[in-house]
Amino acid sequence: MAWEKFNPNLAAHDLVQDMKWNPEIRKEFKDNEKAVLDRYALLPEERKAIEERNFRKLYDLGMHPYLGGQLSRFIWGNDAGKGAVEASNKLVASLQGHSRDIPKS
Amino acid sequence: MAQIVFAAGAPHAPAIIGLFDKAPDDSKKVVTDTYAAISKELRAARPDVVIMFANDHITNSRITFYPDFLIGSAPRHSGPHEWFQEWIGCRDYVAKGSPEVAKSLFAGMTRRGVRMVVREENLNFDDNISVPVTMTDLDKTDIALVPVLQNCTVPPIPSAERCFEIGHALRDFIEKDLPGDMRVALFGSGGLSHEPGGAKYYKIDEDFDRRFLQLCAGGDHKALLKEITLERMEEAGTGGTAEVLSWYPVMAAIGECKGRSFGYTGWPSFRCGIGGVIWDLNTKQ
Repeated sequence: MAWEKFNPNLAAHDLVQDMKWNPEIRKEFKDNEKAVLDRYALLPEERKAIEERNFRKLYDLGMHPYLGGQLSRFIWGNDAGKGAVEASNKLVASLQGHSRDIPKS
Repeated sequence: MAQIVFAAGAPHAPAIIGLFDKAPDDSKKVVTDTYAAISKELRAARPDVVIMFANDHITNSRITFYPDFLIGSAPRHSGPHEWFQEWIGCRDYVAKGSPEVAKSLFAGMTRRGVRMVVREENLNFDDNISVPVTMTDLDKTDIALVPVLQNCTVPPIPSAERCFEIGHALRDFIEKDLPGDMRVALFGSGGLSHEPGGAKYYKIDEDFDRRFLQLCAGGDHKALLKEITLERMEEAGTGGTAEVLSWYPVMAAIGECKGRSFGYTGWPSFRCGIGGVIWDLNTKQ
């Protein structure tokens, strides 16, 4: 991602930070994502991109990729034993629109 | 005059712990050899304190209110932070801190024109501090830890030249402000090439990494600054490769010393190039 698109004002950044720091919000996000998203001043397209798991769109709107990676782990898993592989693979596939570069192992 | 007795730089990618068992043997060997050498030589140097420059991965501050250098002055540093336990897969630890050195560092750098911030509470540590601490068993020694969490990922990032200026101020601080008999270790935790959360998550720039290690071990700071620019780091992996900037204050503080590295691996599933350097402080040119 090119930094010229970076938008530090996106509310999605605060969403990720709060989930990271608070296990209750994390759990609520799993159980009732809508209720959590309702509490943040997300742009309509920003919210739609989160709901559709469209990371390419989120990054085009200016989301920081490090926090994007963390958002993918809230959604798809955070486990070290598998290297959070499912989250990384789905994130990369979303960003590239294909899964060619993802290692087989 | 307090003395710098040890200096090293190494990556902290969480997968070197979480995916270690699945890695090929030659990649495992690089991880083991690098951290075994650091662990052994750190102890042999008998430091009282290790000042650890490590990247902050937006884990302690909101992106809208983001310090470039955050010092932890807690009496004890425990980690990893709860959410990162599962992700890193490392054991829990409580390392001894040094509020005195941390606060002295804050005051000393402020007086020397370097804006740092300090916080007394236990900072949130992810792989930045947790990987080097557990890989070296630092918490099982008497060496105190002073973490300095550095912004290497939220633009504008302090430049390579600025990180060198900060390292020169750090050397002056160590020599003039710390107790005369104190023995200080310096550690830069971060890099090598990687693009966390980006489209090139699985791409590692081996050419960049090998050249970076060679230049760091060569001790020619002008050559390093000329070739390894922030632009080149970004090209080798946006938002992640610039973590090598945490090695720069360390290098600047020790002067132009030769170093040794312990192999290199660019195994894609580590999602980060792996290789470290220990500098030989008696080779200062």
